Amino acid sequence: MPAVLSEPVSSDFPTTVNTSTDGRPDFISIQNFSFFYGAKQALFDISMDIPERQVTAFIGPSGCGKSTLLRNLNRMNELIDGIRHTGDIVIHGHSIYDPLIEVISLRKRVGMVFQKSNPFPKSIYENVVYPLRVAGQKTKTILDETVERSLKGAALWDEVKDRLHESALSLSGGQMQRLCIARAIANRPEILLMDEPCSALDPVATVKVEELIQELKSQFTIVIVTHNMQQATRCSDKTAFFYLGRLVEFADTQKIFANPSNKQTEDYITGRFG
Amino acid sequence: MTRKLPDYANDESRFQTSRSTLFVDRLMTVFIKLGGVLVTTSVLGIFAFILIQIWPLFAPARIEEIKSVQLPQTPFALLGIDEWGALPFLVEPDGRMLTVDGETGEISEKNIDFGTPMKITAATLNKREQKIIVGTDDGRFSIISPNYTSIESDGSQIIKIDPQAEAAIPLGLPNVPIEDIAYGDSGTSKLVVVLQSIDGKPHLSAAVFKRKKTLMGFGKEQRVGTYDPTPLISGRPTKILVPGSGDSVLIITDDGRVHYLAVSENGFELRQTFTPFEDLPDRHIKTAAFIFGDVSISFASNSGANRVFSLYYPKGRDQRAFGLTHRFPDLGTGPTFLISTLRNKAFLLGGGSELSLRYSTTDSIRWQEKMPYNVVNAAISGKYHRLVVLDGTNRLHFFKIHDPHSDSSWKALFSKVWYEGAPEPSWEWQSTGGSDDFEPKYSLVPLIFGTIKGTFYAMMFAIPIALLAALYTSQFLDPCFRSVVKPTMEIMASLPSVVLGFLAAIYIAPLIEDQIPSLLLVAVGLPIMAAITGLVWSRLPIQTRQWIHPGWEWIVFLPLLLGSGWILWSLGPRLEAACFLVTDSSTGLKSADFRAWWPIVTGTGFDQRNSLVVGFMMGFAVIPIIFTIAEDALSNVPTSLITASMACGASRWQTATRIVLPTASSGIFSALMIGLGRAVGETMIVVMATGNTPIMEWNIFSGMRTLSANIAVELSEAPHHSTLYRTLFLGALLLFMLTFAVNTVAEILRHRLRAKFKTV
Repeated sequence: MPAVLSEPVSSDFPTTVNTSTDGRPDFISIQNFSFFYGAKQALFDISMDIPERQVTAFIGPSGCGKSTLLRNLNRMNELIDGIRHTGDIVIHGHSIYDPLIEVISLRKRVGMVFQKSNPFPKSIYENVVYPLRVAGQKTKTILDETVERSLKGAALWDEVKDRLHESALSLSGGQMQRLCIARAIANRPEILLMDEPCSALDPVATVKVEELIQELKSQFTIVIVTHNMQQATRCSDKTAFFYLGRLVEFADTQKIFANPSNKQTEDYITGRFG
Repeated sequence: MTRKLPDYANDESRFQTSRSTLFVDRLMTVFIKLGGVLVTTSVLGIFAFILIQIWPLFAPARIEEIKSVQLPQTPFALLGIDEWGALPFLVEPDGRMLTVDGETGEISEKNIDFGTPMKITAATLNKREQKIIVGTDDGRFSIISPNYTSIESDGSQIIKIDPQAEAAIPLGLPNVPIEDIAYGDSGTSKLVVVLQSIDGKPHLSAAVFKRKKTLMGFGKEQRVGTYDPTPLISGRPTKILVPGSGDSVLIITDDGRVHYLAVSENGFELRQTFTPFEDLPDRHIKTAAFIFGDVSISFASNSGANRVFSLYYPKGRDQRAFGLTHRFPDLGTGPTFLISTLRNKAFLLGGGSELSLRYSTTDSIRWQEKMPYNVVNAAISGKYHRLVVLDGTNRLHFFKIHDPHSDSSWKALFSKVWYEGAPEPSWEWQSTGGSDDFEPKYSLVPLIFGTIKGTFYAMMFAIPIALLAALYTSQFLDPCFRSVVKPTMEIMASLPSVVLGFLAAIYIAPLIEDQIPSLLLVAVGLPIMAAITGLVWSRLPIQTRQWIHPGWEWIVFLPLLLGSGWILWSLGPRLEAACFLVTDSSTGLKSADFRAWWPIVTGTGFDQRNSLVVGFMMGFAVIPIIFTIAEDALSNVPTSLITASMACGASRWQTATRIVLPTASSGIFSALMIGLGRAVGETMIVVMATGNTPIMEWNIFSGMRTLSANIAVELSEAPHHSTLYRTLFLGALLLFMLTFAVNTVAEILRHRLRAKFKTV
């Protein structure tokens, strides 16, 4: 059985940053990216640059390919059979499809929060330290410190600090989702992908997560997929509108919502379809 | 051509449920309820049936008085009874024989024709031969055959007696009354021992007779020697016992000692002297009798203490000696007689008004009661179903004995029992023997042990393979292969176990027998090779690994592992030559043979059909079951957890071991338990691939007998309603309880695990 016992150093993801002139590096660069599920093409020739330490929202009607693109940023789509792609995605100036790179080290760099909260059937503590454990971290103080930092980062610390060793499944839906966020940021990734993180939450929990996104922005580059236009306006800096697998418009959030340059975008954000 | 549509809007019937729907609904409700009740009732019925079959094993004996007959007020020298218990006889000192009809109570008298008139002073019944030996007041002895005949007429049985006496032969001191007499006859040799006394001094005489065995039967009897064993005895003899084999004599003296003398070339030699009640204040032996089989003797002391001594080879000695094997509770009063049966190891001890029926093997009192009269003598019929007791007023009481399972008890079934001839108490299963006086051994412990042993070795083999295979198939193998592997394994599960057993016995067992070193090498080497391969693979540069699509790695590994397996197998003989050398004691030559090496080094046996073969083959039967259920459980772990783990940067292996395995643990546990249940109940493979030897040792190279195999093997040998028959039912119940216990524990644990690892 091919046990990946440890990661060879050579295949770690490179850390050098290409700084662009305006001080906001084009952190994630998607270049002519097309994606296919078997014979069906899901994404058509997408090119966009996602800036560092900002919140970028992907919006668009169901099936427009926004989640597919998001899941390609940490190659999570590779768990599905019969997929292929053309074009490239570049992070830090390095292709994530570089054959010399272990996909595992990419995923350590690009954390992810899913639509449906998916805590492991373990304790709250173990859920948070899981990324560190699989990375081989055993030192108790570091683990403890990470739990506190991550849970505080996910605005969950005060609610669970007294019951860290209880099952994560005893939490409420909103708490579970924030726990998943805490888990995603535990190993300090650079990029945080959020796939409709609030779609299964009640309004109160949604507000908490949105506030959290604003706080996390200072440390992470966040890409969020949402169906909720208000959410996109409330918490994103840039917004990309996708329609039928194509990137229709990508601009500052204020501009998109105030003055969309594309008719389809305008129709969508004004609720004429979608 | 427009059809008028019904006016649905105003049709009230749209709110009604049709009668047929309601009818079917009610019918099915009743039908399902009925079915459920019937199934539950049948299961309980089977359970009740088994319990009813088993119950008599633990029931005490029942003895009821049928009738009593007043006899004339004369003293009697002997009381005996026929095989059918219909016509007991009493011998009077003047040589007359009194018979009492058990049906009518009619008393009749017969004169035994001795040729010359004689007065009987001692008489002993030889139960085995169904003959009476009598000693006279003038120093002679005669052997009397009662000659019972049974005639069936009009559906009723008529028992007749026609006693015939052999010519009286003088033995010992002439014209001195014989005080005690005993004889044993093996067919070819006969030993008669008499006790007399002259001037208050005891005198023993023994005569040995031999007969030649020819094709025409036994030849004429010849006296080959007459001996006087008195000098070998210290103390005053009170009772003589001669076993049926006629090769020894036991002489009990008034100081409570027993002298065990064996017939030797010229006379007797003293083998052993022992005091049965050495530790008691009153050592005096009041009465004693051989228990059926003539290997054990039951002694009763003056005060009513009761012990059984058996002949066995004490550890480190090459001659058999008597040793204490069974202790019984005191009778409570001084005993007057002790008689054994002709059917089993039971004996009846009587004294005062107490009657106690005891069973030697299990140290148990089958029945004990205080009679309203003093008991003087008794006799038990050969079929162990009638008892006659003579009371102090010469009244003969007829009893019915109902004790079909005298040889069974909790102790016999589950405790260590000191069997005749064994040097120590042990758990044994041996339901039948070569002779009528065989002592059945019904301990279920070796069978329970065998069941556990077989299951243990099967699970040792099956669990790692099945679980790793399930983990690999569900988590690592490309899904397009999974759809082939799983149905194949499911087909394997449907292989009839008789085919597997047949294969194991005819093919695998002989194959493995002389290839043990090769097998050892493969068993140890292959997992190591697999681990090394995995390690090397993970250290390979990523470019090399990318040639193989994830899930297709087996294409590289399989030939590698098969090749190394083949190499390891062919290295076996070399290992044998290097490590498993035995030296032939006669020639001094060394040869490599694991089969000979193992018994020498470990002191345990090596059988061709052994636990290894069973473990291997039963493992084969269990692997598909564990694999299928475990694979289902692993595949049913929500994808969201796997993706979450992957998104955290975990490898496939980390995801499999840290997330998938714990989450699927309750399902895996069920798989193991269902596999365990199958292994516990598996019959055909065990019947065919083990020697069915009910031994108790963990040695992997010896066989075993499981509860289920025992039922299969012995069922055809078990007479209806016999002890063996009921014991097999008990075995079935145990098996049922074992699986029930395993399943219950499994279910409880499974629920706990499920609660612990339940997913959102």
